[in-house]
Amino acid sequence: MSNDAVIEPASQEAAADKNKILRMLDTLRNVFRGAPIFSLVFLTIALICALFAPLIAPYSPIETNPTNILKAPDLTNHLLGTDNQGRDILSRLIHGAQTSVMIGVLSVLLAATVGTVIGLVSGVFRGWVDRILMRFTDGFLALPYLMVALTAVSLLGSSVINVILVIGLLRWMGFARVLRGEVLKLVEMDFVRLAMAAGASKTRIMITHIFPNITNTLLVLATLELGLAVIVEASLSFLGLGVPRPMPSWGSMLKDSQLYIYLTWWFPVIPGIAITLLVMSANLTGDWLRDRLDPTRRQL
Amino acid sequence: MGRYILKRLLEGIITLWLITLAVFFVLRLGGGNPVEYMLPPEATQADVIALTKAYGFDKPLIHQYYVFNKKLLQGDLGTALAWDKRPTLELVWERVPATLQLTTASMVVAVIIGVTIGAISASRPDSMFDRVGKVAAIIGQSMPVFWVGLLLILIFSVYLNWLPSAGGIERLGWQGIIMPAASLGFFLIASHMRIVRSTMIEVLESDYIKLVRSKGLPSRMVIWKHAFKNASIPVFTLFFVNFAALVSGAVVTETIFAWPGIGRLLVDSLILRDYPTTQAVILFASAFIVFINILVDVMYAWLDPRIRVS
Repeated sequence: MSNDAVIEPASQEAAADKNKILRMLDTLRNVFRGAPIFSLVFLTIALICALFAPLIAPYSPIETNPTNILKAPDLTNHLLGTDNQGRDILSRLIHGAQTSVMIGVLSVLLAATVGTVIGLVSGVFRGWVDRILMRFTDGFLALPYLMVALTAVSLLGSSVINVILVIGLLRWMGFARVLRGEVLKLVEMDFVRLAMAAGASKTRIMITHIFPNITNTLLVLATLELGLAVIVEASLSFLGLGVPRPMPSWGSMLKDSQLYIYLTWWFPVIPGIAITLLVMSANLTGDWLRDRLDPTRRQL
Repeated sequence: MGRYILKRLLEGIITLWLITLAVFFVLRLGGGNPVEYMLPPEATQADVIALTKAYGFDKPLIHQYYVFNKKLLQGDLGTALAWDKRPTLELVWERVPATLQLTTASMVVAVIIGVTIGAISASRPDSMFDRVGKVAAIIGQSMPVFWVGLLLILIFSVYLNWLPSAGGIERLGWQGIIMPAASLGFFLIASHMRIVRSTMIEVLESDYIKLVRSKGLPSRMVIWKHAFKNASIPVFTLFFVNFAALVSGAVVTETIFAWPGIGRLLVDSLILRDYPTTQAVILFASAFIVFINILVDVMYAWLDPRIRVS
């Protein structure tokens, strides 16, 4: 009997499989090189909370319990304490993750879409189209976005869709400007010029030639904007003009906590920690992506 | 140079005009009669009709827009519905100094602390100080402004009882501005620190600095007299660009600390559904931001002549 320390594969196929797995692991390791582990883990946790909130949360987030108000965190019952209406803070935190993640992702999606289209059109068509679109973009950039957001939600009524619309339509400018810069650089390149010379329409050039080459920047921007979107949503909720009650939002939890700041420390502190961690994770992931997706490498 | 200034001014005016257009339409967003937002639910139909006529909302849109612009050029931004029906411009103007005090104080705090920490970090890269600084900066940029405010109140008003938590400068004296300025400036400290650090590190590795060092200049002089000046340029513009975003951030800060500025005026006007006032605040804030942007561009053009030509 052989005394090998390594288990030999039994046959040719097993050897090939083993190689394939090793190669896959190697690729995974390469893809995630230098990744901010804590941030990615936290983002995953937030995503899981967002998707499976009712299954994970120990208590109902909206059932009030007047006999149980403002209880300090204790390990047996309410892990993170209760709020001013007796609701379990941990459960509200988990459901609040749903709000933040959903609104964050969808509003960034909206902003990215609008911004990408405007950036592409501006960069490819240039000329007066570019000038008008950029003037339009500058106009939006000059708006005090929080003030406008508050007014818009106040007028449209507070609902999840309105908040998403408002945040999305006030954050597209960053995408438009940066992507336009990228597009302008790409348009000068030979492969685009050749396509134009071959008679490709501007639209075709935008979609087939330029867009695939800006996906890296787009992804980095989207990740960084996610953090900002979460903060804007929390700010809107904090001022009472975010998602409608009693839907839990980390921002409105902080708003409620203001009145009880002399009585409880956990109520004002804990939702804020959640917001900070989520935004930090998004920012660190964005930074990592920006370094990883260096323009000298292949696009994602 | 003069031509560039003129060009920027013209662009600024166009941008501002676009904003007034947007603000004009925002009020008609809901599709319904704006008057219905402004009146309490108990208002009768007669009240609605009377107020509609008074505000001219029954006239065609073009006519309304014409009246809006005419009044704007005359400096009439409408009258408030609450606040004793005073002209909104007056209401805004009264509160501008408070907001300016807050934003300036935050800026000053942020620049002094942020730039200093950034410079020290850059001169000792990867040291303990630098590493802690980096982490603190990332956390600082992720904390929402209002939470920083709440934490400061928790620590300094509730537990330590050192500082008052609400009011403006007149009522509280200089102590009243510490926490609001710190909340608003916190995020900026992190921003400035990172920018100064990375710019200075770049500069410190440049040939120019190597030459100065090889001439035998002591390290301290190298850092502060030469590297620092060069690193200041992007900080300078970040400085002013952030000023515009501060206006937005001031809204939440003023609300938490009951600061009598235009941010709080906006929130109050929204609660009271006093949309003429809301409109006035937004127009004013936008004009201010456009002005600051023009200032930044002009300064940049003055510092870097290549920009004037492009």
